[in-house]
Amino acid sequence: MPSNDSVQTLYSDHHGWLHAWLRSKLGNAADAADLAQDTFVRLLQRREQVQLNTPRAFLRTVARGLVIDHWRREELHRAYLEALAHLPETQAPSAETREVLLELLERIARMLEGLKPKVRRAFLLAQCDGLKHQAIAEQMGISVRTVERYIADALYHCYLLRFEDER
Amino acid sequence: MTVVAPSAKAVKQAIQWLLRLRESGSSPALLQQCEQWRSTRHEHELAWQRVIHLHQDLDLRTIPGAGVALHTLETSQRRLHRRQALKLLGGVALVGSATWLARDLDSVSAWASDYATATGERRRLHLPDGSLMQLNTRSAVDLAFDQQQRLVHLKQGELMLTCSEAQDQTRPLLVQTQEALLEGLNARFVVRQDIACTRVSVSQGKVAIHRPGNGQVQWIDSGQHWRLDASGAQRLDRVDMDPTAWSEGLIVTRDMRLHDFLAQVSRYRHGYLACSDDIAHLRLSGVFRLDDPEQLLQLLPKTLPVRLRQRTRWWTRVEHMA
Repeated sequence: MPSNDSVQTLYSDHHGWLHAWLRSKLGNAADAADLAQDTFVRLLQRREQVQLNTPRAFLRTVARGLVIDHWRREELHRAYLEALAHLPETQAPSAETREVLLELLERIARMLEGLKPKVRRAFLLAQCDGLKHQAIAEQMGISVRTVERYIADALYHCYLLRFEDER
Repeated sequence: MTVVAPSAKAVKQAIQWLLRLRESGSSPALLQQCEQWRSTRHEHELAWQRVIHLHQDLDLRTIPGAGVALHTLETSQRRLHRRQALKLLGGVALVGSATWLARDLDSVSAWASDYATATGERRRLHLPDGSLMQLNTRSAVDLAFDQQQRLVHLKQGELMLTCSEAQDQTRPLLVQTQEALLEGLNARFVVRQDIACTRVSVSQGKVAIHRPGNGQVQWIDSGQHWRLDASGAQRLDRVDMDPTAWSEGLIVTRDMRLHDFLAQVSRYRHGYLACSDDIAHLRLSGVFRLDDPEQLLQLLPKTLPVRLRQRTRWWTRVEHMA
């Protein structure tokens, strides 16, 4: 973990610049301020020593990850709210619960990001709709064997992401 | 701090078993074959445990609206737009950030533990030395069993350990929590990791408390309950809940505040559960079954002057009977 001092120095030297850079990417001062803050929080949480030779390149790498994350989240939030709007009122979760569910959903969506579209589709049909392999095969116009392979691949992919630190 | 991770081969086999079982609707014959496969090697069992948990966490049917939302993302053009956006940002971040994000998923994380239980789940496990470990709801542990040590790291939740009778002078059986290291001697004891405190109850044998920065060892005898936090270790005169009852699927309370009771029930179910302030002090004594928390809540209006207000199945509030 980097010492608080080194992050402190980074902060006072580059916070203004980082905020401006984020603002140019996001077009929104409030989000930019949040993400700039998050960037420094991430640095404090990292285990390895901060590489100080090129501080701005380093900050930009961290911040870039957060911007992408932010966009993905917004995209997912939009899709989720749309989906909820179509649920019958009795099934719609409350505002508090919605936040929790959204967080869960985000984690899952992140894990599925790296999959090939067809693999992800087969996997979602199984996990969201509980379809059997035969039904997925028919819907996607592929063989049952392929469906089995896709779903097994998807699970293995998620497994690696989740247990990566333990290997 | 962990046992050796299962090989890729074992993991892939576990996935195959899971998919075959799911497709067959858990046929008894297949279930038995799968159990046999699991029992042939410790590595198989570990791979199985992990895969099962992963699969549970990825069960999108438990999140209302999730399926529609993800399918929307899938079919919409947005994904494409995002790819373009990524190029603007510089595509280098793509692969790196995917792994980065995954690692950031959750700091406490049942996501990366040797053994974990989901909400409402309880589990019994035999440790490599023959000790019995029972995990309560929403719990996560790592095991470090090797030539030098027998260590259970309780990262979250609650466990009950029944130490194996076989003595091992050189490798004490230890449970690590945020606040302390606990050593069981022929003991049966319950450890719960709460926020910023550890609770220990001993129902048999003795348990030693070793605390960082404090050379003195504190012994807990059978029948005692202790609470450990940053300020010290404190023996509790009375407890308002039987600390071991969960291992038999029960909550047993003695004069417990309603507010505290609901906090306990919350551990076993999803969603929001609370009560209004004016009834938080009401006292409750009784035996409640854990296997169906919803039914358990329905009992409340029968014993207390309260009613349940349920807006959705995710939101329940207990209020004063108007």
